[in-house]
Amino acid sequence: MILLVDMDAFFASVEQAHHPHLRGRPVIVCGDPSRRGVVTAASYEARPFGVRAGMPLQEARRLCPQADYVEGSPDKYVALSLQLLELYTTYTPDVEPFSVDEAFVGLGRSYTLESAAGVAREIQAEIDRRFGLPASIGVGPNKLIAKMAAGLEKPRGLTALDAEGFRTAFWPRDIQEMWGVGPKLAMRMRSLGFKTVGDLAHAPEPLLRSAFGIIGPQLRDAAWGHDDTPIIPYHKGVDAKSMGHEVTLPEDCDDSAFLEGTLMRLADQVARRLRTEGYVGRTVTLKLRNRRFETITRQRALAEPTDDRTTIFSQARALWLEHWKGDAVRLIGLSLASLDRRAQGEQEELFDQATRSKRLERALDRVRDKLGEASVVPAGSLTHRQRMGHVTFGAPSRPADRRPPPRGTSSA
Amino acid sequence: MFESLSDPVDVLTSFVEGQMQPLRFRWKGRVVRVKNVSGQWVRREGQTLLRYFAVEGPQNDTYELCYDPRGPRWVLSRAWTGGR
Repeated sequence: MILLVDMDAFFASVEQAHHPHLRGRPVIVCGDPSRRGVVTAASYEARPFGVRAGMPLQEARRLCPQADYVEGSPDKYVALSLQLLELYTTYTPDVEPFSVDEAFVGLGRSYTLESAAGVAREIQAEIDRRFGLPASIGVGPNKLIAKMAAGLEKPRGLTALDAEGFRTAFWPRDIQEMWGVGPKLAMRMRSLGFKTVGDLAHAPEPLLRSAFGIIGPQLRDAAWGHDDTPIIPYHKGVDAKSMGHEVTLPEDCDDSAFLEGTLMRLADQVARRLRTEGYVGRTVTLKLRNRRFETITRQRALAEPTDDRTTIFSQARALWLEHWKGDAVRLIGLSLASLDRRAQGEQEELFDQATRSKRLERALDRVRDKLGEASVVPAGSLTHRQRMGHVTFGAPSRPADRRPPPRGTSSA
Repeated sequence: MFESLSDPVDVLTSFVEGQMQPLRFRWKGRVVRVKNVSGQWVRREGQTLLRYFAVEGPQNDTYELCYDPRGPRWVLSRAWTGGR
């Protein structure tokens, strides 16, 4: 049996737990509330006003002016997320973080739906007792059912479903409630006459295959509640597919020096994270959003995979010069994909320029390891730093091999 | 409204059974008694582990205190003392 523990309105609930005057009130967690940005999280009290995560702050203020707007503390949420993972590992070592506020907990085959629900109830009570936070938990024979069950009743919900219960609960529901079916895919499915999860479960497989490729039959299988994806315990780590950072600017900006400084800061953060976690990447993607919320993403493959800030920045800058038409930018983002693990013990040429540059980066990494991320930044990014400070949510995560093992397991 | 701060403060602290806990602190010339610690977390800055405490004062006021072992020193990082 598997549980999916989903923290309800996590960031907002943390602020309500830590600051009792916020309890029972609409709370909106965001960046600096005096600047513009987007809603990071909305408490359940704010949701009836139509406020949702990802919404521009300006719109949230129009919908819910009486809310408390609280600047988020990413470090705090990450720290609490790790404390929650540690709590789950007191029940089983099979804990897989799914996001900062969700985790799968594998209980093993000996558990029945009822006994697993009993453990879920204990975990829910323990989270409330130790952290004062609400959580909803889904229980099921696989990850798919646990995940979808967790969303059925919120906040503080507990839903246990076997495969038959899953079909009873979800077959009458809209196709978009199926895990993995987003708005665009749902629209295409509806156009083929599949309006509910039950319709998908009974769709002819050849039709699904021709319309959606390999994913069509897979989704049909999922609509029956079938899923054999294993739990990957977090101490074993999972290979990342891409790494990136993006930032919403305090105001729409067409100042090329500031925008380039911002791009350099992002390149520095992405490269630092790649090196910290032992990756190199090959595909550089630039993301730009203008004041009309029109977003473009442009990418280019490098000749060789890299974790070098200068290489990433120069490619990103080339993309930028090619595709920026001088209009005011609202959001700028940079990511690296096609990741591979960095080879160990690379051959180095003593006086080669690239090697010297690598050595410099490693030396700067050691300074940051000791004194923190803000201790050294590229001078070219200071135009960004003077106006923005640090990009939030930008600190590198702890590599898998430096995380503590779950309780009850050997660290060997 | 929350104030984001970086004010050094003197904190009377207890160390019991390996746990540290702020009891009172002096800020803006007055002593704030900690009624309750509502949350704790840590943040790494390089090799330094900063310890944060969300605490409640006696007047429905709330604060976030940070213990930085490099001083060692305490810093008041956030305060809510009423008003919206």
